[in-house]
Amino acid sequence: MADPVPVAMGQGSSCWGCFQSLVDIHLRLAEVLPAIEIKYWQAVADFKLHHLESYEDKSIVVGFFEGMARTEEDIHLLKLMREKCQILIAFGSCSCFGGIPGLANFSDIEECYDVKFRNNKTVEGGEVPSENLPGIASVVKPNSDFVDIDIYLPGCPPTPDLIYTAVSALLSGQPIDLPPHTVCHYCDREKKDTPIEEVLRPYQGIADPDRCLLEQGYICVGSSTWGLCEGQCVNMGSTCRGCFGPPPPITQDHGAASISMLGSYAPMEPEKIVEEVKDPLGTFWRFDYPTSHLGRMRIKREEAKEK
Amino acid sequence: MSEEKVIRVDPVTRLEGHGSLTIKLGKDGKVKDVQFNVNSTRFFEKFLEGRPMEEAPRIAPRICGICPIPHHLASIKAVEAAWDVTPPPAAIKLRRLMIEAKQYSSHAIHFYALAAPDFVYGPFANPADRNVAAVLRDLPDVAVQAIKMMEFGQELIRVIGAKAVHPTTGIPGGMLTSLKEEDRDFFIGRLEEIQQLTLNTVDLAKKVVTDYLDVITKVAVVPTYYIGLSNEGVLDIYDGTVRVQEPDGKIVADFEPKDYTKYYGEHVAKHSYATHMYYKPAGYPEGVWRANTLARCNVNEKMATPLADAALTEMRELVGRPSHHTFAYHYARIVELVQAFEWCATLLKDPDICSTDVKLSDVEPKAGDGVGIVEAPRGILLHNYISDDKGMLTKANLVVATNNNIAGIEKSLMVAAKQIFEDKAHESLTLPEPMVKR
Repeated sequence: MADPVPVAMGQGSSCWGCFQSLVDIHLRLAEVLPAIEIKYWQAVADFKLHHLESYEDKSIVVGFFEGMARTEEDIHLLKLMREKCQILIAFGSCSCFGGIPGLANFSDIEECYDVKFRNNKTVEGGEVPSENLPGIASVVKPNSDFVDIDIYLPGCPPTPDLIYTAVSALLSGQPIDLPPHTVCHYCDREKKDTPIEEVLRPYQGIADPDRCLLEQGYICVGSSTWGLCEGQCVNMGSTCRGCFGPPPPITQDHGAASISMLGSYAPMEPEKIVEEVKDPLGTFWRFDYPTSHLGRMRIKREEAKEK
Repeated sequence: MSEEKVIRVDPVTRLEGHGSLTIKLGKDGKVKDVQFNVNSTRFFEKFLEGRPMEEAPRIAPRICGICPIPHHLASIKAVEAAWDVTPPPAAIKLRRLMIEAKQYSSHAIHFYALAAPDFVYGPFANPADRNVAAVLRDLPDVAVQAIKMMEFGQELIRVIGAKAVHPTTGIPGGMLTSLKEEDRDFFIGRLEEIQQLTLNTVDLAKKVVTDYLDVITKVAVVPTYYIGLSNEGVLDIYDGTVRVQEPDGKIVADFEPKDYTKYYGEHVAKHSYATHMYYKPAGYPEGVWRANTLARCNVNEKMATPLADAALTEMRELVGRPSHHTFAYHYARIVELVQAFEWCATLLKDPDICSTDVKLSDVEPKAGDGVGIVEAPRGILLHNYISDDKGMLTKANLVVATNNNIAGIEKSLMVAAKQIFEDKAHESLTLPEPMVKR
């Protein structure tokens, strides 16, 4: 067998779900784990930050970075991973686009502190903790604002099959070849190209299991979302919320594409559609607000304040 | 020692979140302060505001990638409580099957990947060897057993929830899909082997407990309050009332989830972004409670299933009730692993488990205040949402599993630090020969 490939796993502010999805390759772990040499993986191995800091630059072949980087510590780790790794992978949608935690950019950080520490049902008058803790930036910025990313592997989380495909290619030095289709390509439901008369919320009625969810009135952003998930939710009754982000080129604005898609399906009066789509920002930009056009304006506003 | 000294452990490893440890030693060598610094937070409570409330169960699971199912379900229960919705019985069975499957895979990953390396290689082994990849190399049969157990739980979640991590099929009023008969039959076919692997794990845990009895009964034994869900004294992770137990073992509260603000105290520590929870009537820090496996075993009289109850009886013969032994959390985890398996088996064989009557068609949002509580693998989990009359979420309060353990972890770290730095107690512990020597 070839020598194990040095690998590092870094985690910003995130849920560990992408790494759980890696563990979920199940018995294929018996093939992958012996092929890698873990140089850093805080949840799995006992290497400390000083170990990672002590390695030679670019001495690690592949680095996976899960999560977005909002604390000073996250940003330090992200930059360190860049220095030490030859190939840096943005692992999962938080790392690619900001992800669900990017929704925090809808609010000012002081408002976030209010509900977390100062005034909520079980908490009253707390001060923002600061002792022996890294500071938290005023907004979530995309990881690509801090470092160059070599490979984007989106998904919330990326599926075990996708991870296995990517890891196998990387370990054998091959390019990762991913299909460009949207979620609709993998959806078994029938489309009849009929317009939507009314927007439904997902708890309303009983959906026809064989018809396109969007054509039934349930907002589903599958047609503007990269289908690396292979349609896992839409084929089991749930609408797509876009967790894999836009199809290639992934720099395109996912939310704008989703709204335009809805516009073409719902020839309704603008007032009616505004009334019925309750939360456009949180629906169409759920996983990629920080990398979107609107999200970029929000970040710039914050940067202007800091100057 | 003549100088003051600060010891930093950064990061705390084999933990899925972000933590570091700060220990301050005085000139006299005494431990002055121990801080468990949880150094990240993402503000879910804030950005759930303004969302349609039925979307919360699709957003909140991202709090935790190991325990997204409990978050999905606590969130749905909170919405249903606020809107006054009762889902069909078959939907509740599917939800329970999903959370028991999660309990099973999470306890397996915790025991084998997070905890076992310490016991396999011994606490003084080289850090490079003290991990699950090394276990796979040195004890491949044990590792394959662990992987098969995790696979059973995770794949069972996937056929119910569409995704093993961050499921999407739960909805206020039921489930968006039913369980296919072919999937049920596949997992029923797996039960025999999985039961054997589960019982092998119990034997392995008993060996570890016997080998490390000195550590378990002497290190970080810390009396605290305990909190856990209870179904009339029986350990339950999906539904019930909330019990609080005093350090001396008396149950001092047993309340409905909606009444939690009378009992839940939340302290903002200056050195941790995760807050410290405590039993409000007792005050802070006296009322600091712990949640998670051992807490659930402490607050309840018995387990819900026969093999698990036998395992609990054996555990209590060794550590009593309540047990304040921090290392007994591992043992309690295995007792619960057995119960989760037995629940999965029972539910898979339930004649209604593939029923297609799993969703109401007439759910209506309304203004309300709803609390949803379930047990996550690492402790009791609470979501509380306020809805306006259009069903938009206007306010959220979340008390997640880990919040309930932070103060308790810090307390046991203080005890352990004194034992190590002041008493050198670790030098006189009786330790077994490591299972694997490198």
